Amino acid sequence: MSADYLHLCSVILKQCFGNVVESVANCLFSATTRTLSQIVSTTKLPRKEVCVALAVLIRFRLVSFEPSQTNPFLPEYSLRREDIIFLLRHPRYIYLMQNKYGNVGASITEELIHSGSHTHVNKVLLNCLADEDVGTANAETHRNTFLQMISDHYIIKMPELIEGDDQDESVPRFQSDECEYFRHPNIDLHLLSMISKGEASLSDSKESNMMWTLNYDRFHQDFRDAIMVDSIKRKLGDSAAECFSFILTLIYNTTDPWQRKTSNQITFMEIKQTIERKSNNLDLIKYLDQYISLLTDDSLGFLRKVGDMGNGQYLVDMERAFESLAFACIESVITERFGSKAARIFRVIRFKKFIEQEDLQKEAMIPAKEAKSLAYNLFQEQFIHVKVIKKPGGGSNGPAKAFYLYQVKQKDTVRMLLDISFKALYNAIERSSYEKFEHKGLIDKSQRLDAIVETMRERGESDEFIAEIMETFTPPECEILKKVKNRIQALSKAELTLDNSIFLLQMYQHHCTTLPTSIQKFK
Amino acid sequence: MAGRGRGGKTGTFTAEQLAMLGCSKELPVQSAPPPTFPPVLNKPIALDTTDAESYQLQWKEKFLNRMRDSPYYVVSASTEKPKTELKDWRERALEGLKPKKEPEFNYRFMPRELNISSRKRKAAADSKPKLVAKKKTNIEDRLKLLEQKELKSGGENDNDEAKKESDSEHEDENEADPEAALDDEMDEENDYGNSYFDNGEAYNEDEDNLDDGPVY
Repeated sequence: MSADYLHLCSVILKQCFGNVVESVANCLFSATTRTLSQIVSTTKLPRKEVCVALAVLIRFRLVSFEPSQTNPFLPEYSLRREDIIFLLRHPRYIYLMQNKYGNVGASITEELIHSGSHTHVNKVLLNCLADEDVGTANAETHRNTFLQMISDHYIIKMPELIEGDDQDESVPRFQSDECEYFRHPNIDLHLLSMISKGEASLSDSKESNMMWTLNYDRFHQDFRDAIMVDSIKRKLGDSAAECFSFILTLIYNTTDPWQRKTSNQITFMEIKQTIERKSNNLDLIKYLDQYISLLTDDSLGFLRKVGDMGNGQYLVDMERAFESLAFACIESVITERFGSKAARIFRVIRFKKFIEQEDLQKEAMIPAKEAKSLAYNLFQEQFIHVKVIKKPGGGSNGPAKAFYLYQVKQKDTVRMLLDISFKALYNAIERSSYEKFEHKGLIDKSQRLDAIVETMRERGESDEFIAEIMETFTPPECEILKKVKNRIQALSKAELTLDNSIFLLQMYQHHCTTLPTSIQKFK
Repeated sequence: MAGRGRGGKTGTFTAEQLAMLGCSKELPVQSAPPPTFPPVLNKPIALDTTDAESYQLQWKEKFLNRMRDSPYYVVSASTEKPKTELKDWRERALEGLKPKKEPEFNYRFMPRELNISSRKRKAAADSKPKLVAKKKTNIEDRLKLLEQKELKSGGENDNDEAKKESDSEHEDENEADPEAALDDEMDEENDYGNSYFDNGEAYNEDEDNLDDGPVY
């Protein structure tokens, strides 16, 4: 974990949960585990505030705890560092659910996000139906959508609490059963309506111990697939993209979605049967074999042919796919920062693996002086590296002869770009907060004025009177406010775009390296 | 000498290596930290906002506002105080109208030490009745004892016996409540180790064993 990521986590937590939670998380970030008294002494915050901050972090699944090895009655807390950035992805989760399950799905997801992990299914549904009538078809729609989301693995059951004697309660223990993660709960609509009327309580439910939460890995699986399908759509067209999305759904029947390198094999006949059964695209059905060969021959290398059994055996090469996508992203960054000639130099070095300065300018077809300058800039910013090979001999006759070869260390370059993205994201959030703080008075005034005007319109006041009130906001103030709003909007958009790049680079780290990543099945 | 010579990789280039790479001119020496907001050389391209992005941006703003108003937004009491002092009466009145909810946690799923409120309540509930009971029993017992002793025999020995009995009562109380005794011990804030005793025999013990050679 880099210092840039620490700063980013700190600012995200401050934005969402305030400065006490931020201090406690910072304290936990710098250690593997810490006890409550250690946190209190390090942060120098009151014990009560630290307890509340820890409870908030546990509730939102950002801190986990387990009994100390030396004293089983003493809990030790550890921060789930990789999960903090998920707080920025909440809008994407909601948007995905909005597209898949409509408003009901989005409302359930929103409620699960806000209520954290220790929430009973009935409470989630009741909060969703807070302003609506419980016990009608509406409640049934909510229940069915909730169950469908469990079936599609977007919602997962939390590990169950083991009820023990009084001494065990100092550090609660949980048991998880993989078969139980997606088992449907028994949602009684009659009981739900009774609870809403106050005739029953949540504890009356049979499964009051079952808590549900969002399964982030499933959302990330969809984001990852969308990246691959979109890139094929841009390069090879809609039909090829549709074909690839069918292939992906087919491989998930036999392959773990988070298998690192490649998927298991599927045959051409399987693909054909699925597409004939499920697709309405006649063009795709007619020229399926050609679309498949287009996908296998493409330089992106998403699909690979590995045999001829069943009219051809294929697998999805995740490693190659995310290598291509990550380096397309890096090349675009280089183009924006140093120009297209620098991107060409980077590409040449990457394909040649090791290349000398003189050969580089010939291969890239760039004048010697310019090539040297661009290569040095890339080296200075750590996009490329130099390998020194010393020729043995020389002795006392003079300095030993050495060859200086340019190379691209792929993993290092990706990690460096990931750190730059973390830093940029931190800067964007900080700058946005700064703008809001600097113009707080103006923003508050405009919000208050909007509220007053709205109330006046509801009351049916005359337009002249409303215009008079509006004039209290002077033209220069209007102009400044407009500029500030545009700036904040641009920064927020930059945050979304940066998060997309971060996600892509994290996927590269998952599929192309053996490093531990945020993907942990059923964590 | 070991550890000298060529050594490992330094990560930087020598002047000779830079000359080989074609960068012969001297690099500027940096004596101050770079500016916080350096001028942008290439102005980034403004991207178009799609429907998906505008939906996400709107939702994000709403989410952050909701989180800020939620009871899970914990602000330190020390940083909150000066702000309230600066606020005028209208803002304070508005804040009074919409009080912040207390955060609700399911403490069954968390370590017991985090549940401060229940601990306090338990402690308060335990201490109160004890105090009342002590007073009542003490006065009644004491009076009865004194009456009985006055009736039986008046003398100096009676006072001694009463003292002994009251001492034994105190001992019983301490035995019945070992935690309270422990608390009393802790309250003294004394870091003196009661179990530790040094009679001074071991003083300068090391210096006598000169045969063993010097200690480094």
